[in-house]
Amino acid sequence: MQEAGNAPHNSTAAIATENLTRRFGDLVAVQDVNLRVSPGQFFGFLGPNGAGKSTTIKMLTGLLAPTSGRIEILGLDFERQVVDVKRQIGVVPEGLALFGRLTGAEYLTFVGRMYGLDRDTCARRATELLEFMQLADQPHKLVTDYSHGMQKKLALAAAVIHGPKILFLDEPFEGVDAIAAGTLKSMLQRMIARGATIFLTSHVLEIVERLCSHVAIIHRGQLVAQGSLEELRAGVEAQSAAQAEALPSTGKLTLEEIFLHTVGGTRSAEQELSWLG
Amino acid sequence: MARLTSQSRGQLAAIAQVRWHIFTHSLRTTKGALELFSRIVIGIVITAGGLGGAVLLGVVASYFVSKGKPEALALLLWPVFVFWQLFPVMATALSETMDSSHLLRFPLNYRAYLLVRLVYGALDPATVLGTLWLLGITLGVGWARPGVLFLWTTLVLILFAGVNMLLTQMVFAWIERWLAQRRTREIFAVLFFLAMISLQLIGPMLSRYGDRSNATLHKISHVASPVQAILPPGVAAAAIASAADGRYVLAFAFLAGLLLYAAAVLRVLGVRLRAQYRGENLSEVTRDARPLQGYAGVKPGWTVPGLSSPVAAVFEKELRYLGRSGPMLLTFVTPIIMLVVFGMRGRSGGFLDNSPDLALPIGSAYALLLLTNLIYNTFGADGGGVQFFLASPASFRSVVLGKNLAHMAVLAAEVVVLAVGVSLLFRLPSLLAVATTVAGLLFAAPLNLAAGNLLSLYSPKKIEVATFGRQRASQLTVLASFILQILIFGVGVLTIFAARHYASPWLAVILFLALAAISFTIYGLVLTRIDPLAQRRREILTTELCK
Repeated sequence: MQEAGNAPHNSTAAIATENLTRRFGDLVAVQDVNLRVSPGQFFGFLGPNGAGKSTTIKMLTGLLAPTSGRIEILGLDFERQVVDVKRQIGVVPEGLALFGRLTGAEYLTFVGRMYGLDRDTCARRATELLEFMQLADQPHKLVTDYSHGMQKKLALAAAVIHGPKILFLDEPFEGVDAIAAGTLKSMLQRMIARGATIFLTSHVLEIVERLCSHVAIIHRGQLVAQGSLEELRAGVEAQSAAQAEALPSTGKLTLEEIFLHTVGGTRSAEQELSWLG
Repeated sequence: MARLTSQSRGQLAAIAQVRWHIFTHSLRTTKGALELFSRIVIGIVITAGGLGGAVLLGVVASYFVSKGKPEALALLLWPVFVFWQLFPVMATALSETMDSSHLLRFPLNYRAYLLVRLVYGALDPATVLGTLWLLGITLGVGWARPGVLFLWTTLVLILFAGVNMLLTQMVFAWIERWLAQRRTREIFAVLFFLAMISLQLIGPMLSRYGDRSNATLHKISHVASPVQAILPPGVAAAAIASAADGRYVLAFAFLAGLLLYAAAVLRVLGVRLRAQYRGENLSEVTRDARPLQGYAGVKPGWTVPGLSSPVAAVFEKELRYLGRSGPMLLTFVTPIIMLVVFGMRGRSGGFLDNSPDLALPIGSAYALLLLTNLIYNTFGADGGGVQFFLASPASFRSVVLGKNLAHMAVLAAEVVVLAVGVSLLFRLPSLLAVATTVAGLLFAAPLNLAAGNLLSLYSPKKIEVATFGRQRASQLTVLASFILQILIFGVGVLTIFAARHYASPWLAVILFLALAAISFTIYGLVLTRIDPLAQRRREILTTELCK
């Protein structure tokens, strides 16, 4: 397991941060985070609620200014080359950033044009994406009338219409049924096969374990683990052996077990909330 | 209404408490404190207007009663009634009825839900002003005839105020319902335009028949008089007049009539509120989903000559948004209504009948004023979509420019429609009137856009374009807009005066064009600084608009 807090390596990373920090008044939401994601990685960014995941992803996508620290995307400095960086990335933010009173097709062509694609390319790609995402059967439906799963699929389609090299996804599988999740996963795997880098946050650890090759865990604003799943697993086992701790399972550690061990998960006492029956 | 249960009372107290908490927490931020300050200033202005009107109405009411003409109180109650009903539609930025849909998930019974809607729906300037004016009339009557008539007038006008409050809410609730779906929206539009045409016929009819003989006019007034007498202001006036004449049985009958109105309006309002309480879904999808038939793929977006692709895309998106917002479309036809109202002429001629060259500039200025609802909170309807603008490589300048151009296109279209309306109602506008209007707009519009672009970043507020009157604009924005409009109006008046003083009407055009050059410079300066400003304000934008 790579130790958290290391400075970025010299070779060009897809995403690299250096002492990334964000304060909200007295609260330090993210502190000295040094992330490194190599090109082509499917990277899962995990943490308990309020750990700083969304704040970090917002800073990485330009939605929030860091208080201090540096962000490099594909070797480009985010602060100085912000437009060049934005051309290379696609984003599905927490609130999906949809325009509810457009149809799905109008929204996709609009997004494509904002990324500088010509009109015909926008129309062609929008058609293909709507068909791939199974959203083409009701072309006149407004986005506001889409189901949550349809909105997630549309948001992902919009994030990839310009063919980004890096895709940032904030909780892409939250509130999505198995069928829609399957479509989303299929799209993401295609992108990885094409050589793109994907950076996602999710609370669904099973999905992260199945999809991601590399993971970072943030806890109370600080990066506490970063590396491949194997590296993380080996790190936890080594740490437990050194401290003579019993591991929760005798077989291969799951990501959930690694996560709980790393962030120190707790369980409520049985006698609490007795009124719930 | 039956008594509320203790659980309902607890729920109402909880709602009041949570609104109090929201208010006090809002004061923690500078923006919240500025909002409160703006609200106080606006409140003072409204109260001053209300008190001034109350004194005036009180004096006139006292005169009518002391001269033994209490039935003439209808002449005072009608303007109050019309204002009470029209003002919330014409000034939606100041109006607010609570969006109570989020309350439906709690075990709130219908009575409590109704009460919440009625109480919070009544907290608007029209109610404050209308109540103050009615108070003035009541005190005026009391001044002339203290005693029983004063008490009776108080009772009648309290009931009249109740009818007004309920009617406003009923109108809002039903207009919103009709505008929510395309089919009903189209029917509403047809009825609306039929009403407009009917109103336009009144003027010519009066002109044609009024000049020939007084008999026709008498005939019309014979028809109109009983009609006004059975409507709420007429009934309220008749209730007071009957009591003043000592005909108490009749007075009680009119009071009962007013009660009947209140009950009927409440009943019709109740139909809407019950539907909302049941959790109605006015989504157009279920009725308007056209399944795939010969789907030929996605059409490319619009090309707008001279505009870059991102600017054209934003321009297209804005116009599509406006086209799909029924309430917004209704706002845009309001200047035409104003024109028709001012254009209604009596035998001596209406206000604009005597000065038809003022019709186009007045209508256009009003159109621009209404458009400030959009311009001053340009990201409000985008909601969470603002995150896309911040994450996309397109500059914020392109986004803002696309929005500004779309809004100016709407204004231009509206001025053309107004010009056609003026030609039909009065006469073809003179070249001078057209030139003065265009030059005046070239001066006023860029200033409004510049201020609007800044306020949209400094004081954004999420709005839902499909709802009608359920949201209040930022009060800071309202105050800033108010001040800017006064300044622009002042400069406009000075310019016209200068032209009159030198007896050179075209001087106004030249001065407006010179002022327009300054306005465009200010607009350009703001536009060039919009990107760094948006970067600095991105956290506020996402926080406020993604709620």
